Amino acid sequence: MAGHQWILPALNRPRLTITLLVLTTLALAAMLPRVTVDTNPENMLAADEPVRLFHDRVKEEFTLHDMVVLGIVNEEHPDGVFNPETLSRVLEISRFAQDLSDPDNPDHQVVSRYVIAPDVVDSIEQAGPGQIRFEWLMRTAPTTREEALAVRDRALDNPMLNGTMVSGDGQALALYLPLSTKDYAHQVRRALLEKIEDFGPVPEEFHITGLPVAEETFGVEMFVQMAISAPLAMLAIFLLMLFFFRQLRMIIAPMIVAMLTVISTMGLLIGTGQTVHIMSSMIPIFLMPIAVVDSIHILSDFFDHYQQRRNRIQTLKEVMDKLFTPMFYTSITSAAGFASLALTPIPPVRVFGIFVAIGIILAWLITILLIPAYIMLMKEEQLENFGQEPTPEGGGDGGGRKPLLGRHLFWLGDFTYRHAKLIAGGSALALVVAGLGISQIQVNDNPMKWFTEKHPIREADRVLNRHFAGTYEAYLVLESTEAEPEPADLATELWESLWDDYAHPDRVPCDINLDPPEWWTLEARYEAENLAKEVADPDEFFRRLEDKWEERLFAAEDDASYDFWIDALDRLGEMQGRDEIFRQPEVLDWLIELEEHLVGADTVGKTNSVTTLVRKVYQELLGGAPEDYRLPASSAGVSQTLMAFQNSHRPDDLWHLLTPDYRKANVWVQLKDGDNMVMERTLADLEEFLAANPPPRELRHDWAGSTYINVVWQEKMVYGMLMAFMGSFIVVFLMMTLLFRSPLWGLLAMIPMTVTVAFIYGLIGIVGKDYDMPVAVLSSLTLGLAVDFSIHFLQRSRQAYQRAGSWAAARREVFAEPARAISRNAIVVAVGFLPLLAAPLMPYKTVGFFLAAIMAVSGLATMYMLPAAIRLLEPRLFRNFR
Amino acid sequence: MNKPMMAVAALFFFWALPGSAAAMTVDEIVDRANLASYYAGDDGRSEVRMTITDAQGRERQRQFVILRHNLEEGGRQMYYVYFQRPADVRRMVFMVHKYLEQDDDRWLYLPDLDLVRRIAAADKRSSFAGSHFLYEDVSGRTPADDNHELVEETDEHYVLEATPLDVDLVEFSRYLIWIDKEHFLPVKAEYFDRNDDQYRVVEALEIEDVDGFPTVIQSRVRDLEGGGETVMSFSNVSYNIGLDESLFTERYLRRPPREVRR
Repeated sequence: MAGHQWILPALNRPRLTITLLVLTTLALAAMLPRVTVDTNPENMLAADEPVRLFHDRVKEEFTLHDMVVLGIVNEEHPDGVFNPETLSRVLEISRFAQDLSDPDNPDHQVVSRYVIAPDVVDSIEQAGPGQIRFEWLMRTAPTTREEALAVRDRALDNPMLNGTMVSGDGQALALYLPLSTKDYAHQVRRALLEKIEDFGPVPEEFHITGLPVAEETFGVEMFVQMAISAPLAMLAIFLLMLFFFRQLRMIIAPMIVAMLTVISTMGLLIGTGQTVHIMSSMIPIFLMPIAVVDSIHILSDFFDHYQQRRNRIQTLKEVMDKLFTPMFYTSITSAAGFASLALTPIPPVRVFGIFVAIGIILAWLITILLIPAYIMLMKEEQLENFGQEPTPEGGGDGGGRKPLLGRHLFWLGDFTYRHAKLIAGGSALALVVAGLGISQIQVNDNPMKWFTEKHPIREADRVLNRHFAGTYEAYLVLESTEAEPEPADLATELWESLWDDYAHPDRVPCDINLDPPEWWTLEARYEAENLAKEVADPDEFFRRLEDKWEERLFAAEDDASYDFWIDALDRLGEMQGRDEIFRQPEVLDWLIELEEHLVGADTVGKTNSVTTLVRKVYQELLGGAPEDYRLPASSAGVSQTLMAFQNSHRPDDLWHLLTPDYRKANVWVQLKDGDNMVMERTLADLEEFLAANPPPRELRHDWAGSTYINVVWQEKMVYGMLMAFMGSFIVVFLMMTLLFRSPLWGLLAMIPMTVTVAFIYGLIGIVGKDYDMPVAVLSSLTLGLAVDFSIHFLQRSRQAYQRAGSWAAARREVFAEPARAISRNAIVVAVGFLPLLAAPLMPYKTVGFFLAAIMAVSGLATMYMLPAAIRLLEPRLFRNFR
Repeated sequence: MNKPMMAVAALFFFWALPGSAAAMTVDEIVDRANLASYYAGDDGRSEVRMTITDAQGRERQRQFVILRHNLEEGGRQMYYVYFQRPADVRRMVFMVHKYLEQDDDRWLYLPDLDLVRRIAAADKRSSFAGSHFLYEDVSGRTPADDNHELVEETDEHYVLEATPLDVDLVEFSRYLIWIDKEHFLPVKAEYFDRNDDQYRVVEALEIEDVDGFPTVIQSRVRDLEGGGETVMSFSNVSYNIGLDESLFTERYLRRPPREVRR
């Protein structure tokens, strides 16, 4: 195949080629400033994903907001935070926080009316015999110890606040700051930190946490990391290449390739209107090694042959003839591997896959055009002492490690030849161990853990979840699914129940002489049945019948008649309320059991629901005795208790827990840990409870809340990644088969990456590292990088075999230049990404570590297993070669 | 149209004669407004339909009867609020004995629990039955709790600015109130928060003459910050119906007086 034809433009018009490449890149770079960063993990799901739509509806229906949690902890003072000095600062920062808004963006503000803080929550308490009081818990800062402790006791006495706003030990207070939009969280955190700074040295500690803070802060720091990590990795690669090739001028070329590739790809990504998500922020880091790899192959080969030819055009043409096919195939297979991510159901992963694939193709194109053009532009004399060290047989006269690498490779060629069976056996054993490891993998993620242990956000998370019932929220939404009743049935039921109670046992409705109550019953029947013929909607039926009967009530001649119509209206009201299942004591009783079950498992710190509120208010209405903390006996009792509550300062707090039609309830579940595993266990706990305790009325349950959303996309991701990996595995296999025109060779080409994937995931399972988002993406990266090595190794082996006629002879050639290029690549990229380990954000550390591991393992797998396999399968593999 | 116009004309005539309105002191304006809004007649009865609309547009209805009895002009008063709707709170009663110099006495009767509870009411700026109206909007804010200043006088209105004497007791930093020069009913009040952002508006949407008293027939509170509003519509308003003081006692909480029924 005449691969060199592709590079003729670069050979003939090197200047123009480079100019065009640079100009195109600059044009795309012009898009970069338009970048918008998106760190909302919710966007891991498509905007129209049912669970997100539901989550948004729940947030709207129950007026829920994403919250920043500000904790104030005083573990030194005997009264904890409940001393006048600390409380005055609590009050100050609370007011400060409530007023926070972004003057530049009216959508960015703290939703002050739903803030949970000591100065803006109500306390319900006894105010002397037979008297209750609704009062702001702490409108002004207490001035004495007694007043401060009274605030504490009142707060602790309210189960809605205990464990949520005030810690059971009295050492800590938590303020919940709802945000109009989640992306305001980072600014809120910064403003609060400044305010805290102003306090100077104070005995209490301030901590800021909450998922939105973690997510948004991550976004900001991610941006910084993009600006630090990628160049740092580039620098490391640069230094290593300098070490290997000792030719500054020469290694600048791959650096330029990498930069042009990264800038063009990101420009294209941003220019096409994509947001930079956590995933896509890693594109530069993924592209860099891949972009450098092809250049190294070309340069390595050019390096080795230039001195023989002394003619760069001729050398380049030969190099390209030899390398074009493997480079083309490695690029399109890697690209196909990443493009397979487009099959996942997760939009940011799709974008990531597609743009890495585009980047790989761009890298390939830039490499085959720019590297030759670059070499053409160098002066002849600069090429004079070029590539003197290595010779095809691995010796070489350059100093340092290179002879060592050469010697080692030479030894390796022999070793793999002699001990092929040992290697095969060892590989099989390694696969078994990896298999065991893989079975241990635990799928888990937690945006909080994207920060390192020492990060203040992690610290806040630890401290606050030690004191409180949990700063992670999930919402369990229960909704009545009962069908609407028919007005005709309602009418019949109503009058028959009245007749049963008001008529003489032997009387029938058509009797002529009726007592007044019987007569009233028939009046009620007449109105109900006539109305039922007119209206089909039960709500309208109730409303209009109520009007009619109320007229009767107001027209009542005497007390007996009045009492009758009151009773009839009560029955009507009760019937009307039957649909409103969340004021039925039986349903609330069941809900209490459900909540107790959830809290009984250690994942849930606390639940807040209408049951808590009703019991607390009812208790205070009854006199405040501890044993009165219970539900009223009837649904009207529940309604009246709630009506009493609504005479407080914050009546609308009720609608966080209920919809006004009483048909939906929201249980705010406080989790102490944002791990997806914890949320999953809670989901399982609920199912377990429901299986054993079916609800007394027909209802459905659904979950919402950030912590839950994270679980949903994680599930999709794990499954999606697996499917994408298997899909691309097959595609790559087919392409390999096509390339080598043999399924057996195709299979052989799959060995290194199969082993690498097994090793990586086995390792993750064995060391107990959570399978999270970055880890999930590594499988496709492995595919992309490992296949590169096998293609080069196998392609060159075949070419060598054709010349040498036996593997025993061919291996010497293979373990010279081709093996050196592969080893250099593996080492350059592996070491090049170690700087990522210094990043303060965990996903970058993870990627850095595993990228290095992937390169090392796939390099080793290629160099050990492929020759061993070739040795063992030689007769079959080369059947058609002779 | 005619009847209210006549009434307005009559009122204007009546009030305009004694002296120029412009010459009134701020205190006089405030007192007039207070009397016009909360002390019309010796007593009164009204049926009220309250529609609470939240930010999402969900509506809730409340229907109740208010009885009011004045013990002294501009001073002590009694309120009896009997709930008719929704059905599950029917027969609930709020009763208020309002004082100027001391905290009001408030009672709550919960019929299903057959429970009478006193409610301590140091703070009257809590919600009235879950609506956007506050207790103080219903029973009146004591004029002496604020400093008043006349900030503008138009052809139709006095515009007063009120600032609270004790800022810790209230959630607003000031409010502006538009008082109609003809009948002295406040037609609009705008409330401002700590940051001087307007967050709440109370308006009289419809005013009619009833038995010679200019009467707010429809009023509305809008929540500018959170969205949502409450509209109160008054019907079957009557004055001077001879309500007895004894109706406003605990005894009548359990069994509402006939006057509630009509």
